[in-house]
Amino acid sequence: MSEETIYQRLEKNGVSRRDFLKLCGTLVGAMGLTVPPLESSGLPGHLLTEDQTIRKVAQALESKARIPVIWLEFQDCAGCSEALTRSQSPTLIDLVLNTISVEYHETLTAAAGHQTEENKQSIMKQYAGQYVLVVEGSIPMALGGAYCTIGGRSAIDILEEAAAGAAAIISTGNCAAFGGLPKANPNPTDAKGVWELITDKPVVNIPGCPAIPEVFTGTLAHFVIFGALPELDDLNRPVTFYGKTIHDRCLRRPFYEAGKFANTFDDEGAKQGWCLYKLGCKGPTTHNACATIKWDAGLSFPVQSGHPCLGCSEPDFWDGGGFYQGQSAPLNRPAATAVGAAIGAGAVVGAAMAANNSAQKKRAAQASEE
Amino acid sequence: MQTQKAMNTFVKETGGWVASQLEACTRCGMCAEACHFYQATGVPEYAPVWKVELLRRAYEQRFTVSGKVKLAIGIDSEISDEDLLNWSSYVYHACTVCNKCSMVCPMGIDLGTLIHDVRSGLAEAGVVPADLAAAVQKQIEEGSPLGMTDEVYADRLEWVTDDWEVDIPIDKEGAETLVVLSSIEVMKFPQNIAAVAEVLNAAGENWTLSTKAREVVNFGFYEGSHSHTTLFLKRILDQAMAMGVKRLVVTECGHAYDALRWTAYNLMEIPDSLEITHITGLLGEYVSSGRIKLKAGAFNEGKITFHDACKIQRKGGHINEPRQILNILSPDAFVEMTPNREEAICCGGGGGVIAIKDADPIRYAAFELKIDQVKKTGADTVVMSCSNCRLQFTDGKEHFNLDWKINGLTQMVADALAD
Amino acid sequence: MNWTTFLHFTRGPLFQVSLLIFVGGMAYRLVRVVLLGWKGDKAPAKGSKLAGVAKTYLKGFLIFPFIPWVKRTFNRNPIMYLAGGLFHLGLFAAILLGTPHMLVWKSLLGFGWPTLPLPIVDWLAAASIAAMIALLFYRRTNSLLKLLTGPAETLNWLLVFLPMVTGYIMTHHLFFQYEVLFSLHMLSVDVLLIWIPLSRISHFMFYFFSRTIHGVEFGKRGVTP
Repeated sequence: MSEETIYQRLEKNGVSRRDFLKLCGTLVGAMGLTVPPLESSGLPGHLLTEDQTIRKVAQALESKARIPVIWLEFQDCAGCSEALTRSQSPTLIDLVLNTISVEYHETLTAAAGHQTEENKQSIMKQYAGQYVLVVEGSIPMALGGAYCTIGGRSAIDILEEAAAGAAAIISTGNCAAFGGLPKANPNPTDAKGVWELITDKPVVNIPGCPAIPEVFTGTLAHFVIFGALPELDDLNRPVTFYGKTIHDRCLRRPFYEAGKFANTFDDEGAKQGWCLYKLGCKGPTTHNACATIKWDAGLSFPVQSGHPCLGCSEPDFWDGGGFYQGQSAPLNRPAATAVGAAIGAGAVVGAAMAANNSAQKKRAAQASEE
Repeated sequence: MQTQKAMNTFVKETGGWVASQLEACTRCGMCAEACHFYQATGVPEYAPVWKVELLRRAYEQRFTVSGKVKLAIGIDSEISDEDLLNWSSYVYHACTVCNKCSMVCPMGIDLGTLIHDVRSGLAEAGVVPADLAAAVQKQIEEGSPLGMTDEVYADRLEWVTDDWEVDIPIDKEGAETLVVLSSIEVMKFPQNIAAVAEVLNAAGENWTLSTKAREVVNFGFYEGSHSHTTLFLKRILDQAMAMGVKRLVVTECGHAYDALRWTAYNLMEIPDSLEITHITGLLGEYVSSGRIKLKAGAFNEGKITFHDACKIQRKGGHINEPRQILNILSPDAFVEMTPNREEAICCGGGGGVIAIKDADPIRYAAFELKIDQVKKTGADTVVMSCSNCRLQFTDGKEHFNLDWKINGLTQMVADALAD
Repeated sequence: MNWTTFLHFTRGPLFQVSLLIFVGGMAYRLVRVVLLGWKGDKAPAKGSKLAGVAKTYLKGFLIFPFIPWVKRTFNRNPIMYLAGGLFHLGLFAAILLGTPHMLVWKSLLGFGWPTLPLPIVDWLAAASIAAMIALLFYRRTNSLLKLLTGPAETLNWLLVFLPMVTGYIMTHHLFFQYEVLFSLHMLSVDVLLIWIPLSRISHFMFYFFSRTIHGVEFGKRGVTP
């Protein structure tokens, strides 16, 4: 690994100057540096005219050495990686996987076993304080971390080791960010998100189930290009992508305002594309870029395709109320026995009070007769 | 003063009926919109809700946890002698228990009855205005608060019989209908006695007056005292039962009708065979059945309006009879006040208020509202079927120099009897 | 703790506890009053008690109590009627016919019903909030209401106002993030649920007692209530 810049490496791979600038445009779009920010992330053509920012990005790529990435997986389903590889923005993903160089990724790396582990160790040494650590999956803390071990070492052990030399950590997917599915009630493994465990390094959360590939790469590219993390919200999510809710940008929003709702998945409202709020849409509280970036190269996203938002980019979304239950409804209804007990208790105390008061009435009646 | 006695009464009287209504009150103050005393004076303490406040405090302090907590932390205080004195002036001086407030209350709380309960407590504690207390005492001792002793009663009846040349049966055995007069009629409106006699005679009624049950007025009911109310009711009802009459007719007296018709049944045993009714109802019955014939249009000059009395119309239900009669007697002259019928505004003299000298200023103030109401109709004659209202109107007419004619319904009927 | 977790708490465990306190508290109030004993009325009725009750409910439900000129009183303070009426109208429209609230009922009762379009509920809610402000102003200035207003009345007002205003702002996505207001809305609702059995806001239950009594009292006398 030399001091070769990213541009030089691309050039070697046969990328023309024109394609390079296109790529820069894509990146600008992906990072939300232009307005409108992300609509055309896969379609760079017109972005070439946004020359100021693009030129800056191009300059950065021309001058910066590539940054290695170490990608760890813990309690995960590899869905975020899967989403990334299946993304329809090939140049961009190419950039991340090949050019920026993912040095360690259990699922994607061709090598396996001790060989890869050794490679990881050498990278961590060589690039100490420079590499970016990406984490996918939650970390189980119960039983000393025994629920997830790799090569005999616990997840938390591996994470702490890798985090020590990282310049920044990116938690991709809800599991790594907030504990995700493994953390769902009753959370048997005591699953935790990375930022709860690593507090001495900058941690960016890219929640989602899976994380939107463009959001992940955009954030990573931002760090690579500018050497700094983008602006984050109070849950350490990049504001660019998580500043608005699904509801804010939803194409069905006008129907919500007009009070036109689909009541079932196959009624007239559903066919007309009306709001899915009554079918359990969590759009109003879900901060993510689905409604703008969408999936499959901007083809669609859940709400557009007729399914309510599950709220997968929010902490504890799995316990945030039934997926098909309106969001305003309480999380769960009190058990009939509890209600009965409350009424019974109230009635008994009330009856006792009434008996006491009736006795008082009797005494008063006697007193006034004397 | 005996605050404890008042508290005991409040506690004793507070059953589900009272408690549920006190719990329903949200203290919105709308009832004040209906209260002629509040409207006439603007004194916030005269609002019906505030008149009931004493009862509410007693209820909360004795029956509820929140009331006890309020007491403990000093938001509320024990009911004091001073409170009783204040409330005495609110519920006796500034309330005719007309119950219009209950019609305005968005919750439909029966405020009149609750205020009557407050009076009961105050009566037990002896915090009754001196004039009213004296009248009660007089009624206990002489049988009438207006000084209508046995001798006076006999004299007046004899005089009426002679002067109006009317046949008045007294203590007639085998009579079916017992008529009990109010001393207001006997002392102030003797013509009413003649009118009652003329109408009943014309209808061929087998009726009588009684020397024992001679006073229908019940100052114990004004006062709110159960024992006095019962005592005065018994004087009438015991006699009625002893005579075995089928019907007891209350003449033009409002609160007495309220006491006899609606309250007496809950204070003593009254056989089903005894019907208690008001002369207004009887007049309507006679006219409908044709037992008396009226000269149509007998009073068709000028404009005549009818004053609905709180105890006879709103609380007694005899709303249609006066209209039925007036539409015959004064088909063109009869005009309605607004509001009228069950929504009528009270004259301001009922509920014992007219008997309390200290209440005169606010009584006149309240009457001014009535004056406005009548003036709007342009009527020169005001008719009513309650002697207490009539007393208030006569007094008010003098006080305000009004050129109205005040008439009683029975009297009009008697004057218009066809031969 | 972040807002999302807090929201889960306020619409989860806290809501459940509040609801149980509310239900138990109302049962307490009801039983305490009902078991105090009821004296029968032995006076023979002149009219139909049932008809009286039917009429008074009809009048009570058809907004009659809140239209000043229907009451035919002195009408010196029509604002009290109108604001009171608007407040209740908006409140009931929102909590019964607003879609989000219907879904709450649905989750608790197991069945739902058609709702009003958001703009209609929204305007009613806005009117309701405006009415509440007018009522507070009125309580602070009118001499009678000053007399009738203690700490409890002010607290009642505040604890009803908070859910209304947070709900309104939340619906319009104003000022704060949605989940912040959602959390605050739920928190204020939870507090209100606990407060209702302790306060006069429970009048909605005793309304049925006083209305029935009113109907009986007028009906038995043969007078339209």
